[in-house]
Amino acid sequence: MEKRETYLWRILVTGTCFTLFGLGGLILGLLVFPAMMLLPGDPAKRRARTRGLVQRAFRRFVFVMNGGGGISYEIRGRERLGRPGQLIIANHPTLVDVVLIIAFTPAPACVVKAAMFRNPFTRRVVQAAGYISNNPTDEMIEASAAALRSGDALVMFPEGTRTRPGQPLFFNRGAASVAVRAARVLTPIYIHCEPVVLPKGDSWYQVPRRRPHFTVEVGDDIDLAPYRELLPPKASRQLNAWLLDHYAARLETSGGYNGTRGN
Amino acid sequence: MQTKDEILAQIKASLTELFELDPGRITLAARLNEDLEIDSIDAVDLLDRLRRQTGMKISAEDFRSVRTVGDMVDAVYKIVQA
Repeated sequence: MEKRETYLWRILVTGTCFTLFGLGGLILGLLVFPAMMLLPGDPAKRRARTRGLVQRAFRRFVFVMNGGGGISYEIRGRERLGRPGQLIIANHPTLVDVVLIIAFTPAPACVVKAAMFRNPFTRRVVQAAGYISNNPTDEMIEASAAALRSGDALVMFPEGTRTRPGQPLFFNRGAASVAVRAARVLTPIYIHCEPVVLPKGDSWYQVPRRRPHFTVEVGDDIDLAPYRELLPPKASRQLNAWLLDHYAARLETSGGYNGTRGN
Repeated sequence: MQTKDEILAQIKASLTELFELDPGRITLAARLNEDLEIDSIDAVDLLDRLRRQTGMKISAEDFRSVRTVGDMVDAVYKIVQA
């Protein structure tokens, strides 16, 4: 157990990070991206520039969270992230996951919560970066497949939302369907956070008593060849079932996917 | 020019092959979601199959209001007619 002052400090750091995130989104969306639109280049080039900027902003954000003492983290295998047509999937224990992944992946596309396209702080950023809304529709599937076919790396969270602490892991079939359709390579990331911070349902000030430590591990590519021989509905079902088992087993050995609150 | 019966036969063949459904279950009144357990992701696969089979440009928009096998036959028929 750490000192009370440190605990209060971390609440302050977390609050500051939320504020920075919102302000950053506004400044990028209202000032920086419009200015960048004046630069020459086709839409693809512009989007790549925007994504590069988001990545650098997230990298700095991680630096602040880590340097300020809000979280600590280690990432293994990041050199395997960002290959052309690579579908990157990850479990989703906390609000910070997507920031960590994008900060360390060169210019990926990303499937993000539909609400981010309505949120005034985030909507210009997700639009300018060409991120894809997670509405479970054919449009999401088609847009994700198109991004991969065009050579982008794409980040998806098969859970569709943050892990619900204490409940069994669940994967939507969308990510598996996109994988068998269009991924050149499928790469899993296993995220572990101990004690878990900002899971589904927590407010920003609900900070655990110890400093949360993130382990972000990039796993070996998953062989898609066996699934490509099957008809699509069967392939996505079988791959999804396999991924769910794989993650459940993998996260179990690293301390359980529900995490411990550590309070 | 295809008749509605021919279109139904084609859709039936696609459904049985893709989803391994018993052909007896595929009636005009059968609801895709509730009766045949075809979800929105399956629907994308099904559209792909129909596109390839018919060689037509079918957009997801044409199928937005499709609920039953009968609706689907009508939607494809409309595209063939156009």
